[in-house]
Order: sequence, then C-alpha cells, then structure tokens
Amino acid sequence: MATQTREDISSQLLTFIRESFLAGDPEGELDADTPLLELGILNSLNTAILVAHLGEDYGVHVPLIDVTATTFKSVRTLSELVHESLSRK
Amino acid sequence: MSERRGLHDLLSASAARTPDAPAVVGPAGSMSYGELDERADALAGRLSGQGISKGDRVLIWSPKSANAIAAMQAVLRLGAIYIPVDPLTPPERFLVIARESGALALCAPEDLSARVPSPLRDCLACVDLDAAPVPDALPRTPVSTCVEPDDLAYILYTSGSTGTPKGVCISHRSALAFIDWAVAELAPGPQDRFANHSGLSFDLSVLDLYAAFTVGAAVCLIQPEFAYVPEGLVEFLHRERISVWYSVPSALILMLRDGGLLDRPAPGTLRALLFAGEPFPIGPLRALAAWSDARLLNLYGPTETNVCTYHEVRPADLARDLPVPIGKPCSGDRVWAIRADGSEAEPGEEGELVVSGPTVFAGYWGRQPQEGPYATGDRVKVRPDGSFDYLGRRDGMVKIRGHRIELGDVVAALYSHQGVAEAAVIAVGDGLDRVLAAFVVRSRGSAFGNVALRRHLAGRLAPHMIPGDIRFVDRLPHNDRGKLDLAALQRPLHGPQKVQG
Repeated sequence: MATQTREDISSQLLTFIRESFLAGDPEGELDADTPLLELGILNSLNTAILVAHLGEDYGVHVPLIDVTATTFKSVRTLSELVHESLSRK
Repeated sequence: MSERRGLHDLLSASAARTPDAPAVVGPAGSMSYGELDERADALAGRLSGQGISKGDRVLIWSPKSANAIAAMQAVLRLGAIYIPVDPLTPPERFLVIARESGALALCAPEDLSARVPSPLRDCLACVDLDAAPVPDALPRTPVSTCVEPDDLAYILYTSGSTGTPKGVCISHRSALAFIDWAVAELAPGPQDRFANHSGLSFDLSVLDLYAAFTVGAAVCLIQPEFAYVPEGLVEFLHRERISVWYSVPSALILMLRDGGLLDRPAPGTLRALLFAGEPFPIGPLRALAAWSDARLLNLYGPTETNVCTYHEVRPADLARDLPVPIGKPCSGDRVWAIRADGSEAEPGEEGELVVSGPTVFAGYWGRQPQEGPYATGDRVKVRPDGSFDYLGRRDGMVKIRGHRIELGDVVAALYSHQGVAEAAVIAVGDGLDRVLAAFVVRSRGSAFGNVALRRHLAGRLAPHMIPGDIRFVDRLPHNDRGKLDLAALQRPLHGPQKVQG
C-alpha cells in the first residue's frame, strides 16, 4: 500500500466514482478536477459511501475535521488526502 | 424579557450575562458569548461603514462558522435583513438570489466572494468574513438599532414552482414566537449544548441558534460535508456532549443503521431529540426510544410557518405501526384542516392543513404580502383529540432528507439543456435512501454525458436539487393515453445506484 502514488490513488478513485455514482461515465467526462460537491456527484449519501470506501479499501479513516468542502472538492484533493494518510502510516 | 424587541437581543443579553461561556463550538473555531458579541459589533461597524442600514438585505455566503453567525447578528443589529446562502450554491444560482433580493452587501470568505461575477460584485459591498478584526484604538461601539416586531429579520430561499427561488420573509415577531415556544417547551439552561445539524440557510437551524442564545447555551456546529457520515455524527454526539439534538429523521436513522449509535450507551447529557422535515418511520423510532431516555419531539411546519405543530412521542405512539402524529398547534398559532370546499374538517376527516398566527411568514420577497391563513399544501387527517396525522403533499413537491424540492423545477432545468429531448424526474427509495432519479432522452446527435449534464444543472439548481441518479434512456415510458407512465419508470430501479461496501 505504501508504494501507491498519488496517480494510482487518483485513478482508483476515479474508477470508484464512475462505477458507483455515474453509471460508468461512458463519455469519460469525469476527471481529477471535476467539482464533486458542486455537481451533486457527492451528495450527502454518496459522501457517506465514499468515506466508507476509503476506510475499507485504503484503511484510511478520514478524521471529521478533514471532511470539508476543500478536501472533498475533487478527486485530486481526495487523492492527496488519502496519499498523505497512507504515507503517515 | 418584556423590553426585548429583536431577535438579535437574545445574543446581546446572554453576552452581557455570561461573556465567558461558550457560544459557538465548531471545527473552524469556537467563540465565547463575549467574543461573538464583539465580532458582531465589529462586522456591524464595517457593514454600517459600507452604508448598510435598516431594511437593507445582506447576503451571507459562507461555510458554517462562528464568523458567519456573528455576521447574521451584525446584520440584525443594523435593523437589516440577512439572507443565508448555502456555501455550495453555484455562482449562477447565487446571482439569481442576489438579484431577486436586491441585496446591497455580501459577507463571505474571500474564496467565495471571488466567485461572484464582476458586474454584480461591483454593485455589492463585500465584507471579508474571515479577515481578522482590525485592532482599533477607538473604544468599541456597540451597535443596536431599534426594530419593530414586524420588521423582517431574515429571508430563506426555497425551491419555487416556477424554477425561480422564492424568498420566505420572516419577521422578528415571527421568529421570536417560535423561539419563545421552543424555550418554554425545552426549558434549556446555560449548561445545555445544542447540536446544529441543518445548514444555516435552512429553517431548522433557527431553533439551534436562537434557543441556545436565549439561555446562554452552546451551539455545536456540524459541517454539512459530514452531516451524513454516520460514525462521524455518533462520535460528534458523544465528543461534544450534546444535550439537544435537532435534525431531519434521515440523520438519526443513518446514525442508528450505519453509525453504531446503539453500540454505546446514550450520552448522559442527552435530554431531547427533535426531528422535523419528513415522517420518522416507526421502526427506527422505537429503537431510538429504547436506547435513550431523552424526550422525542416531532416538529412540523413548512419554512413559511416555522414550527406550527408538534408532538411528543409517547409509548402509545410506538405501539402503532404508523409514523407519529405531527400533533397539536404551538408557537401561538391556530392550525386546522380544511375540506375541499374550504370548510373545517372534523375529527376522522382528511383535509389540507392551514395555519394562522404569529409564526406565519410575511410573504415571499418581492411579491404580495401574505395576508390571512397560510395553506400548507400538506394533507392531514384530524385525530380524535383534534391533533393531526400527516398524510403527504397535495402537489408535485417531494422531500429528500428534509429538503423540499419541486420536481417541476428539476425537469425545467433538464429541459433547458439543448441536447435534452425528453426528461422525467421522480423520487425513489425511502427515508435515508431516498434520491431524485432523472431519466433523460438525448436528442439525436448530442453526445453529452452525466458530468456535462450536471455542470449544466449546477448553474440552475441548488446542490440538493441535482438528481443523485441520472440515467440516459432511449425513450420514456408512456401509458395508453400518452401520459408519462411514472410507475413504469420506477420498475427498473432497485433503489439508488450504490455500491455495497
């Protein structure tokens, strides 16, 4: 796990969000900078699902203080959060 | 209490009594009553310096924070009217609200005010909410404008049936009538700790803030991003030693179902659980009642009437297999149900709920004032004791986790995209799993996808109105009369699209 780069994490999270919330995104429109909260891709339910996923697949338990509009803004900011948490382990 | 005139006097009085007591506790910083009071004066001074005075509208576009709450108080101290706007509101919708309300000033952190398009930004006096107060050699000047009870205190924008947001105008008298009832009913004290779950732009937050300010209690802010993270909410409840909790049922059900709420004993501090916005299914409510000795109160009222009825849950209610009643009138209101012909419904009969009294709003901003009783659009059944059971909506309005949404607004926004040939929106699932599902037929030759359509919607709808589930289909089902077949739309859906963890 510790060898995962930000890019690895980013592409895994993109896949997860496409499959879980965007019916696969066949048009390939989601990218690392798509604003997840503003576009309603992460609504309250989906945010909860994503937080659970981060815990289960990365062992990253996002402290409440980190669940903010800044860290959950896009896949890029999320990957940074996950990467930082993993490198602290 | 008798010389109290304005909603803002609640905070001022507590600040004078207990300046060191905690007023607002949040991840973005805590403030004591003295600090909040001082910050409100400083912001009032800055707004006043920008020419804001009695009757002016001031937008507050900010994440939840002590500073945002200080700004609300600052606006009231000038006799002006605050308009809280959800921090996730896209600039395009923000523009509509700013234009509709004729607001003259904006209190926002810099990153949000930078997003206001320039023609508007040049007309708005911008006050940076998070800028450190300028150390002032001059003695502090407390600001307090005398307000009349019927002066407006705040405007809450809700989903309107025409696609344009409607501003619900609430006067000082109206807000205070509700708060006076809540304080009498809950009898809170300075040791209490109120959870604030709802966003500041929604009416549930009015109770959290002003009931706490009345008695000098603390308000503990829950950031919207983790308002539905189950373990997070449970941890918050314990860590902050919450005594009064008020939210939509969805949040409590989520904590029960996925947050391990029942795995730990209820915090000894917890004495009241309040909920509103949608019916609380009886199963989870029974579990909650078995877990905690706290009072359970079902509050009812559209934004236009604040809370106008309530019901305290009793063991007899838990024995029924129905959601608990919305109960009997409160806040000094008169509440009754009318039959289709306009006459008053008797016990055992159904009708539309109608409200008159102090908590009824003053009207929608920019439209005719509200005169006479307000018809809620909610269908109820009159119980033998004259209280009410909630049955549902009369019109195309749905509720998703307590947010009211006009389906027609969402459909109109979908059709405003050039490539949308046909569209339908329904609400699917129950309680917590309830989401808006949109079915879209793309016109020939258009190739946009889910994210592109969301970008389009985000310019027109509040974030909670953007469907959680958007599906592209080849055609919409119609029945033999050519009407959209809603039942057929429901069929292929097996709850929301969601990955089981």
